Amino acid sequence: MVPVVSLVMGFLSAAPLFLAVGVNPILAYQEVLGIFATTDGLTESLTRSIPLLLASVGLCLPFKMNFWNIGAEGQLFMGAFAATGMVFLFPDSPTIVLLGSMMIAGFVFGGLWGLIPAYLKARLETNEVLTTLMLNFVAILWVDYLVYGPWRDPAGFKFPLTPMFPPNARLPWIPGTRIHAGLIMGLACAVLVYVFMARSKWGYELKVSGESRLAAKYAGIDYLRLTMIVMFISGGLAGLAGMGLVSGIVFRLRHGISPGYGFSAIIIAWLARLNPLAVVPVSILFGGLLVAGDAFQIKLGLAFATSQVFQALILLFVVGADIFTRYRVTLTWK
Amino acid sequence: MSLLAHTVQAGTPFLLGTIGEIYAERSGVLNLGVEGMMAMGALTAFMTSFYTGSVGLAILAAMIVGLVLSSIHAFLSITMRANQIVSGLAISILGLGLSGFLGKPMIGMTAPRLPSFSVPVLADMPVIGPILFSQDALLYASILLAVVLWFVLFKTRPGLNARSVGENPAMADSLGLNVYLIRYVCVLFGGAMSGLAGAYLSLLYTPLWIEGMSAGRGWIVIALTIFAVWNPLRALLGAYLFGGVYALQFRLQAIGIGAETPQFLLMLPYLTTICALVLISAESVKRRIGVPAALALPYVRGE
Amino acid sequence: MDFVIPQRKETLVQMKGIVKKFPGVVANNHVDFELKAGEVHGLLGENGAGKTTLMNVLYGIFRPDGGEIYIRGEKVSVGSPREAINLGIGMVHQHFKLVEPHTVFENILLGLKEPVFILDVKEAASRISEISKRYELAVDPKARIWQLSMGERQRVEILKALYRGATILILDEPTSVLTPPETKELFRFITQMATEGRSVVFITHKLDEVMAASDRVTVLRAGRNVDTVDRQQLDKMKLASMMVGREVLFTLHKNPIMAGEPILEVDNLTVMGDKGLPAVKNLSLSIRKAELVGIAGIAGNGQRELTEAIAGMRRIASGQVRLCGREITHKPIARRIREGVAYIPEDRVGVAAPQGLTVAQDLVLRRYREKPFSNGIFLEQQEIDSNAEKLIKEFNIAVTAKSAPARTLSGGNLQKLILARELSGNPKLMIAAYPTRGLDVGATEYVRSLLLKQRDAGGALLVVSEDLEEILSLSDRIAVMYGGEIVGTFPASEANVEEIGLMMGGSLRKP
Repeated sequence: MVPVVSLVMGFLSAAPLFLAVGVNPILAYQEVLGIFATTDGLTESLTRSIPLLLASVGLCLPFKMNFWNIGAEGQLFMGAFAATGMVFLFPDSPTIVLLGSMMIAGFVFGGLWGLIPAYLKARLETNEVLTTLMLNFVAILWVDYLVYGPWRDPAGFKFPLTPMFPPNARLPWIPGTRIHAGLIMGLACAVLVYVFMARSKWGYELKVSGESRLAAKYAGIDYLRLTMIVMFISGGLAGLAGMGLVSGIVFRLRHGISPGYGFSAIIIAWLARLNPLAVVPVSILFGGLLVAGDAFQIKLGLAFATSQVFQALILLFVVGADIFTRYRVTLTWK
Repeated sequence: MSLLAHTVQAGTPFLLGTIGEIYAERSGVLNLGVEGMMAMGALTAFMTSFYTGSVGLAILAAMIVGLVLSSIHAFLSITMRANQIVSGLAISILGLGLSGFLGKPMIGMTAPRLPSFSVPVLADMPVIGPILFSQDALLYASILLAVVLWFVLFKTRPGLNARSVGENPAMADSLGLNVYLIRYVCVLFGGAMSGLAGAYLSLLYTPLWIEGMSAGRGWIVIALTIFAVWNPLRALLGAYLFGGVYALQFRLQAIGIGAETPQFLLMLPYLTTICALVLISAESVKRRIGVPAALALPYVRGE
Repeated sequence: MDFVIPQRKETLVQMKGIVKKFPGVVANNHVDFELKAGEVHGLLGENGAGKTTLMNVLYGIFRPDGGEIYIRGEKVSVGSPREAINLGIGMVHQHFKLVEPHTVFENILLGLKEPVFILDVKEAASRISEISKRYELAVDPKARIWQLSMGERQRVEILKALYRGATILILDEPTSVLTPPETKELFRFITQMATEGRSVVFITHKLDEVMAASDRVTVLRAGRNVDTVDRQQLDKMKLASMMVGREVLFTLHKNPIMAGEPILEVDNLTVMGDKGLPAVKNLSLSIRKAELVGIAGIAGNGQRELTEAIAGMRRIASGQVRLCGREITHKPIARRIREGVAYIPEDRVGVAAPQGLTVAQDLVLRRYREKPFSNGIFLEQQEIDSNAEKLIKEFNIAVTAKSAPARTLSGGNLQKLILARELSGNPKLMIAAYPTRGLDVGATEYVRSLLLKQRDAGGALLVVSEDLEEILSLSDRIAVMYGGEIVGTFPASEANVEEIGLMMGGSLRKP
């Protein structure tokens, strides 16, 4: 299990860094493991993993056909924006209606945001890495505009955030924890997307398109339509992640609503080898890393950025390990 | 300080990062790690200046750190033929994380900064004088670098080789060029420049160390590279344009002209880049000007 | 065309007993070749005859597996194009090695040691201008390659070779991208080179050119040197028959079957090629039920573009394609598949059988939409599996498991897979491009028998092949393509090998 080894190695490689800032690495690792050993730690990890889960599952689709969607962060923001918009528009609706409309709005707006680069790539051959990357910032700035401006909470001491959501705009949660219904959404989507990829007609088209565009053409596949469907779903799932954030954890829209979940999702999808089911445990792990980041900050006086360092190191080791597996294959051929 | 003087300062980190990335991409390697390299460059410069008091040493250290980080990306992308997008992103996240992680104790501190000096006579010119000729050495150097690097890229053999390797590596290889070496050099150069850009941020632009020093500028560098159509002279134009946007929104906020405007202004760099991308991709099929044809494709001899 | 015959001089290049093997084929089988100074030497042959390979050996792109090369009397080993250039050999390939966004100037200087740093040096510029004027190879050094026509690009390639001091110039199919006036220009240049004492080898399959321009012609066939003929003894018919060979084996027995109503009708088809020039020009063709039409011709005369256009992989500029009376000219490929068009493309690995998919998955590549393989949303894995089992058994495809990735299959078995898939859909029309290329004897026989079986069962087939023997033994009717047009159609029973050779060389038209 190569990914597991790289995970562990990436983890351990952070040790010298802890030493560099005068922290005993063993204490740091104890913190991390401790999170998974306590109920509190586990539930918190699950909570944090929800937006990661949704966004990563979504990314499995375009990545499988070699469409590099780096825009999950922006799609998430657009989903968060749309969901919040619903709250502003229909604050007095019954809970089920409101939550339902928030989910739909979040999905649709995230999906539309993903559709733009898809169209540009399929029609005009515009590089999707760059377009999705750029659109991230446009979305983030758009939300900033709203929370600094028209949507700002008048009673919020000029902080860039909206008023708190009323109770009918909040996702139900498991009492005693912060785990909200978004988890069910996430798990359901993981299963659905897995089935979609493994069993459906479009999953097959994805595989073929990922091999080569010419092969897809030969097989009669409508590449344009496939790209757009896939990116709509991918963006939509990221949008749902955004919706879950505002209505399940934070209960408002604010500046920096996502500290880079969309980018972490890329790493998670990659680590899970684009398998939506494998995304589940990896997201929980990364959720745990985020909780660890908090713990590091509070207990060890480290920057929150620590969890980013872990993520990056793990990813680098995975990328490196990937190559060794490839080389091994070439060697056995010879 | 006048708006235009501020513009030129704001544009300098963009300029430095972009001319580096131009070389990397011209040789065919997409480097998405600029943001992380800039962040680490900023921290390294700051810490070196803080602990040694030498600004010159700080700049050097920042460039070395940028070079080291980019060497990881170079190794993975060129020798190991890994996916350049993922590798670059990993470096960015690593650099951002490391700079936050290692920089925590520095938050709020100040360190010796880049001194400004006025060019005699020229600085007394009305209007242009204070804007262009009362700045710091690094700013002057950046403009000079842009011009020199433009010349090297288009008028000299090393530049021709770099461009060929990015357009048609198989052809270049068959003509005897060392594709791998040339790509390494270009990527490492790009890394050093990103580090330098970061150094400018922490040694001049911001008075003290804060978390998130790079503030997304690295991503704008990637956008600028396209906007400049991989041409260092156009990078000058683009860098100051985007720098102007930053300076402007800063002013507007200070005056209090609605908190609304900054965001839309700040969106401009990204939106214009997308437009530029669309224009280039629509035309490039016919005109073959623009994206280096082998960008982000790993080269394997015999393929 | 009338050219000056230069004096006979000493032998410049001698290649003795050259052997070059590739997996599965001997491209050069003990070939001797001789080139004299100041000579224009034509190298004639069909595809796969070994002409380009032989010259690639001389140019250092390939190392020969056997044989020796002597240049100016000295034995040499040419290890790379760099070494060839140092020996004074220059080669202009069929596919130009130019970097498109760069200027002419930059392309000429690329890869050289001098000038070392700054490029725009007077010496370099004036030397290029001098060569350009002397040989009347007018081209703007500051122009970018993508702005230039094919003829101009070729001039740049020639300038490149001359700038590097080539005294021996090899041109591979040089007129394939030229217009008639440009062709005339080229031969004027070739003559000028010869008059100066330089030597030119030009590889071609065009008989007229070789007849008009060469001092000597060497004909290669199937990896061997058939003969070298002096100018005085050049005879078109003789050359043609040397090129295609007289021993034709009719190994397969065809059932005489009455062809039925027309299945495929192609009217005045024009299709653009990759370089912006028409590859298929106003071509008309029809294939009836239970009829196999073989397209003969040297590869590169529009056959690939024709098959791609009919299959739907390439846009049709003008004209019409009808299947059973229904127009399908611009219909999407999925529709063509539904209407019963089967297509075996040239590129097996990248297009027809993606390597990362399993054998079972590849066996439904074009048919996964239909029942019973899919019920609209989901794939019926059981049906796909049983289909795979059936086809593997029926066609004897050697696989470790139906879930094995396609890349584990050998070339022959991969082709069997593709055929199995395309035939199993009971197609009305089958288009096969070079179906036995690269296959061993056994697989080749098997594929041919399958094609004939399909025809016996009432299918209409279009087969493109560079193997004339194959065309003759499989086809009911033969059409020869040259320059994007059909220059002759006739029933196989009336086939005359010499005439076909002339047609393939562009020297004969038989409407």
